[in-house]
Amino acid sequence: MKRIIYSTLILTNLLGILNTIQAQDEKKISFNGSARSIFYGDKLTQDTSAIDTVTVPKLNSGHVLVDLGINIRPNKSTEILAMVRLRNDYGGFWGSGVTFDLRQMYVKGVIGGIVKYQLGDFNYRLTRYTLWNSDQEVISNTPQAFQQQTDLINYDHFYSADHSWRQQGASVGFGLVFNRFIQELQVNAVTTRVKPSDFAQTSDRLFSGVNIQLVQSKYLEAGFNYVNMYDVPGTSKNTAGFQNPVYTGTLLAHYGTKNWEAKLDGELGKSRTHFKNDLLAPDWKDRFMDGSVSITQMRTGLAFTVNSKFVGAAFRSPGAQTKRLDYNGLPQAYQRITSNQDLRQLTMLDLMRESSFYNLQLRPYLMEFAPRYDNISPYGDATPNRQGFSLKLKYAKKDVPVTAELTHSQLQEVRGEGTLTPRKFNRNTLTVDARVNEFFKSWKKQIHFTLSYRDDQTARAGEDLVKAVDLKTNCIASGLEIEVLKGFDVLLGIQQLTYKGFDYTAVRNTYSEIFNFTEYAVDGQETLQAIGARYRFSEKTFLSAQLNQFHSKNATSSLPDYSIKQFMLLFQMKF
Amino acid sequence: MKNNSLFSAFLAMVLFTGCKSDDAFDGPSLNDLYGQFSIVEPLTTSNDDVDFSSGQTTFFRATFSKNIAWTLHITGLSSGAMKEITGFSNILDATNSTWNGTTTRLPLFRIEDCAVELTFENEADTLRDTLHIAGTRINEGFLLSDFENGVNSGWSSFAQTGANMSFGVLSSDSAAQGNNFFDMAGVVDWDWLLGYLYLPATAYGSATFPLSSNPDEVFFNTLIYKPENLNNGLLLFQFTEDDNLDGVFTSASEDMYSIQVSPTEAGWSQLSVNYSDLVTLINGSPAAPAGNGIHEPHKLTQVNILFLKNPTSGFAHARLDYMIFTQGAPLIP
Repeated sequence: MKRIIYSTLILTNLLGILNTIQAQDEKKISFNGSARSIFYGDKLTQDTSAIDTVTVPKLNSGHVLVDLGINIRPNKSTEILAMVRLRNDYGGFWGSGVTFDLRQMYVKGVIGGIVKYQLGDFNYRLTRYTLWNSDQEVISNTPQAFQQQTDLINYDHFYSADHSWRQQGASVGFGLVFNRFIQELQVNAVTTRVKPSDFAQTSDRLFSGVNIQLVQSKYLEAGFNYVNMYDVPGTSKNTAGFQNPVYTGTLLAHYGTKNWEAKLDGELGKSRTHFKNDLLAPDWKDRFMDGSVSITQMRTGLAFTVNSKFVGAAFRSPGAQTKRLDYNGLPQAYQRITSNQDLRQLTMLDLMRESSFYNLQLRPYLMEFAPRYDNISPYGDATPNRQGFSLKLKYAKKDVPVTAELTHSQLQEVRGEGTLTPRKFNRNTLTVDARVNEFFKSWKKQIHFTLSYRDDQTARAGEDLVKAVDLKTNCIASGLEIEVLKGFDVLLGIQQLTYKGFDYTAVRNTYSEIFNFTEYAVDGQETLQAIGARYRFSEKTFLSAQLNQFHSKNATSSLPDYSIKQFMLLFQMKF
Repeated sequence: MKNNSLFSAFLAMVLFTGCKSDDAFDGPSLNDLYGQFSIVEPLTTSNDDVDFSSGQTTFFRATFSKNIAWTLHITGLSSGAMKEITGFSNILDATNSTWNGTTTRLPLFRIEDCAVELTFENEADTLRDTLHIAGTRINEGFLLSDFENGVNSGWSSFAQTGANMSFGVLSSDSAAQGNNFFDMAGVVDWDWLLGYLYLPATAYGSATFPLSSNPDEVFFNTLIYKPENLNNGLLLFQFTEDDNLDGVFTSASEDMYSIQVSPTEAGWSQLSVNYSDLVTLINGSPAAPAGNGIHEPHKLTQVNILFLKNPTSGFAHARLDYMIFTQGAPLIP
């Protein structure tokens, strides 16, 4: 009997690298990067009878920067990249305010035509429960008028559409192709350094992962994932060591006919969080399960998905639960306002444009979050202590320039916080994306319309003097891009966020154990409007000018209602 | 067909995952933090005529609407002794409020009636009850004296002939234990010494005290009284060892360990010292031991108690009560 295993060792993505390298073989050295110039002119207006004689109402800021990368290909199977960033803040002359940083550097290639590797800086992603960089709250998928500013933050922090985390370390991967029973077996491994030792009380903290993906056929794939964030013993004087292994299995199955397509997608796994040689630390073990079934009818373009999930209260996966946003920061612009110089609470406007709130490092604990922005999935799909289901109806048909998606999620806590009664969560979302111009044959220029709506509710019945939880968040956003002249667009956008209600927020210790609760009452509204113009020199270069108006109303804050008018001028180029 | 089965199985898993919640919750109880406090069951005592001398204990019962920090005070109506028990719970029972007759604030309890008072943090409610002590607690150890029967006839003592001198056993309700204590007071302006008591082991019928040979296990305890506004009294306790077991303590070649205390708290306080922490003192300063330098409590032949004061400092006053050697731990009065 003729037996299996012969084979070509190699993988598709591997071939991609090789192809790229070969295609550019003639160019051993090339340059890439980007450049931008951004200017903000802000004006603060406060709705208060007491005149603020302390806060300066107008602020100007901005910078020019260039990211310059040098790609070196010493041979067909090796690529080296070093990218430096030169930045000059507006107002910095003759070297003042100028910074010069190494933005990224890596070496990658293929060993023996079989094993691909990358050393240095790279983006890495596994699954939603192992290593996944979930979108930031509120300002993801906003109208293009706002997205331009968010994109700058995402670019600066290496947040990409594939939800990968920027890491520094080493990764390897290879694949095996079979001629019977199994089509392909892919093996990937990664180890990165999350935190360096200080040689005293902080040990080196590493993140390691292995992914084995088995492609049985075009119908069926299965995978195994192992990740672990851990302290390396002996790298400091601290004998206590953090360890957080996570094991998951994935299953993906497709089946379709000419008229129907069905897909099954699931992941389940478990985690353990413990500190070696630390008697005070908890030792948590928990599990999760997430499964979806979707059925698509080709004729109508309708796809229906049902998802069920269970994520245990003690399930911890730092790679998947670390947030982009670090709410411990304070706004740089108008940090204190009013005559009393009260601290200004972080808003949607700050999230859109302030880089200092964003995080690059995987965290071993649950970071703080803002319930008014997202109380249901603050840690992405891997948010612990959630169980329930969601239903999704999607419309996307070939040759129809409109896509729409409607979802309803109904979740509740697995384990109550401070009470046996679990919180219940409801979320409804609607997104519509329309290339309006395609409805009119005569209008060749682009008209792009987007609409998104999110309605979140958190509820829990009260007990005696323990107040009932009732927190509602509502976010509606709409955008319009109209190409009036070739390459010249008018941009319009509006986003309104309303939050009102009450909840108890958990106060956690360094081990992420809840040791107290604080009362959290909000009643506010944030509105962001924009009108602007953009000229696209090419696909990679544009100049954009915008007027933004932000308004904040907060009935539970000591701050008055206030507005910030923002003029933004942005030039961006990628090369 | 195979794929259809797989779909069905997974669909079933997806659709029929139950939403059962845990029967425990994370964090402190919200009811404890924010709920209203009320007394569900009033304060009662499990044994309101308790005889601690026979090993009895008593505990208290009460139930509240939420977990709360509480404090239980038991006060001797005759002695003024006070026992404090604290906790954080929504119930008082044998696990958290059992009392075996010990004291938090001296003096020791006597055979007497006691008032019991239960108070709560940040709440005005106070629950009260009473109980009677039919027999006081008996502490394990070698009792040197509680002065209830005067001084041991085997002891020797000396007192200066100063002014306002008092150097003997007195009876008073203010005794730390029982009714008697040893009172030491006076003015001596020519010497540091007001008086002393020597307590030889022979007064107890043997050449050495019946103590463990392990100095880490032996504790000397006594209760000392200092009057308010008098801070000049010094108590020097000396422990002489017969290192060579020849029946005689030779100061030039055998160990004498000491501890000198100057009470700071007015009223009765407890002195407990581990035998291995005793040092050799010469004129109040540490010095090298004269003997083998090994703490050997089983070779202890005599305990000396000297009441000292600076001759220029005027009137000095102190009291002693309940001198006892305990093993394994200091005295729990």
